[in-house]
Amino acid sequence: MVVAEHLHKTFGRFTAVKDASFRIEKGEIVGFLGPNGAGKTTTMKMLTGYLPPTAGTASIAGHDILDEPVESRRHLGYMPENVPLYDDMRVTDYLIYRAQLKGLRGGDVRTQVGYVIDKCGLEPKRKNLISTLSKGYRQRVGLADALLGKPDLLILDEPTNGLDPNQIRQIRELIRSLAEDHTVILSTHILSEVEMICNKVIIIDQGEIKAADTPLNLTRGLRAAGRVSIEFKGDLDVVVKELEAFAPVKKVIVEETLPGGWHRLLVRAEPGTDTREKAAAITAAHGFATRHIYRHIPSLEDVFVEMTRRD
Amino acid sequence: MKNDTTLNKVKRNLVNYLSTLWVIYLKELRGYLCVPFGWVILTCTMGIQGLMLQAVLETMTQATGNGVMFHMMDSLFFLLLFIFIFPLITMRTFAEEERLGTLEGLLTAPVTTTQILLGKYFAAYSFYLIIWLPMLLYPWMSEIGNLYTYTRYGEHCETTITYMLADWIGAYSILALTGAFFVALGILCSSVTRSQIIAAIFCTCLMIMYYFMGRVTELWGEFPAAPIFHYISWSEQFKAFTSGALDTRPLVLYLTMTICTLALTKRLVDYRRWTR
Repeated sequence: MVVAEHLHKTFGRFTAVKDASFRIEKGEIVGFLGPNGAGKTTTMKMLTGYLPPTAGTASIAGHDILDEPVESRRHLGYMPENVPLYDDMRVTDYLIYRAQLKGLRGGDVRTQVGYVIDKCGLEPKRKNLISTLSKGYRQRVGLADALLGKPDLLILDEPTNGLDPNQIRQIRELIRSLAEDHTVILSTHILSEVEMICNKVIIIDQGEIKAADTPLNLTRGLRAAGRVSIEFKGDLDVVVKELEAFAPVKKVIVEETLPGGWHRLLVRAEPGTDTREKAAAITAAHGFATRHIYRHIPSLEDVFVEMTRRD
Repeated sequence: MKNDTTLNKVKRNLVNYLSTLWVIYLKELRGYLCVPFGWVILTCTMGIQGLMLQAVLETMTQATGNGVMFHMMDSLFFLLLFIFIFPLITMRTFAEEERLGTLEGLLTAPVTTTQILLGKYFAAYSFYLIIWLPMLLYPWMSEIGNLYTYTRYGEHCETTITYMLADWIGAYSILALTGAFFVALGILCSSVTRSQIIAAIFCTCLMIMYYFMGRVTELWGEFPAAPIFHYISWSEQFKAFTSGALDTRPLVLYLTMTICTLALTKRLVDYRRWTR
């Protein structure tokens, strides 16, 4: 659906995006992740054809964004960050105008506008002036605009930015329901959101693509993936020594000694291994009581921090 | 057969192109006529046109032999109106879109920069032409005035503003010609900035400069390069056209200038995207 080849963008001496290449298949929901100023928006704007890349190119549904700009934009619905809209137009009028701009004519305009108004829950505000809308409704108008003409690809730049938790939930549900007939690219820095809706993540930092994979694959190879914590009562040195002798274990850290003779250990092991059974067996063999044993499930947050931290 | 299909394809593309242009044009025109802004301009213009007419009635008493149109467009009020009307009409076109960020939505829709530019240009130009329409009512209004004086005071005051075909056609064609260029110039100014005020000031400066370039010969007298300044002087063109002397040289001048300015504006809008 989308093929980006060596996209490169510089603003004067500042390089915003460095040699970004990625593929997005039909039907995927892709999350662009990255700290502020990482180049997410720039990459998206290049895909929409609004910012011409300094070098490299991309194609949408087989149409090159530089050689066939109009044709490639026909397959695209774009919702810019902060959703710029004409304040002096009414919601329906605005959507009709946008539908006509996107090449819809005659009866198609009415049916499409009706469809997106219904889909985005704009029915109660359809006759309002856009200047009177709240942030949440503006966001929905932007989304409705992007949906007009049923484009194959939706590019949404921070669709839930500035919304309250209920609105975020509604928009998220909406995006998930869209995935049935659209490919979606969205950018955000809310990680839980990506975990919930995206089936592919592209992590960008300082203009470079650090990773592009499914959330599951990303977390699998992580350093944090093999960590186990255990809390037991008994002789600390014996347990530490026996645990360290076990092959996949790299290091055992005594985290805390709690009142009542309880100790908490953090066992660092190879990613993808599970040392819980062994740890439990060791404490049991010495007759020590164990009250807590837990293997860390790495989250996207761990991936994000590991890939983008600067220390 | 094959030729026929290519021809049909070209025809279809052209229809699509023009219908999108039409959509943009209508939206932009609505932006003038469906908001208070347009009506404020229209009201002010009509006020100034009234003052122009009043100035005519004063100079006409001196029996110069020129028509109503000549004196209307020779007055100071006309000069003021003509210099400030273009920045007012065009300052919003691109500057406002840029400030609101809606240019992004417009340029990511499947339309070309040329379509957007032409849509905006023709809308602004149409509004400019609309502004001059009320003047067509003046002769009729003078009749009404006569009738009113007669019924009220029982006397014929016989104010006449006549439709002298050559004068009126001349006046409207020079208004249309110069307008075509100056509207394009205003849009050019609007496309270089995101501030309407700066766009308006920039455009006014260019208008004033252009106006005084046309009057250089009055200051310096005749010199070898003087014909150039005569050629571009709109104050002289207005005098000729409003006396009923239609000339094709301004037609060539303003059409080429308009096309060049629009082409430059298109480049600028695209260029600003490249550098951002």
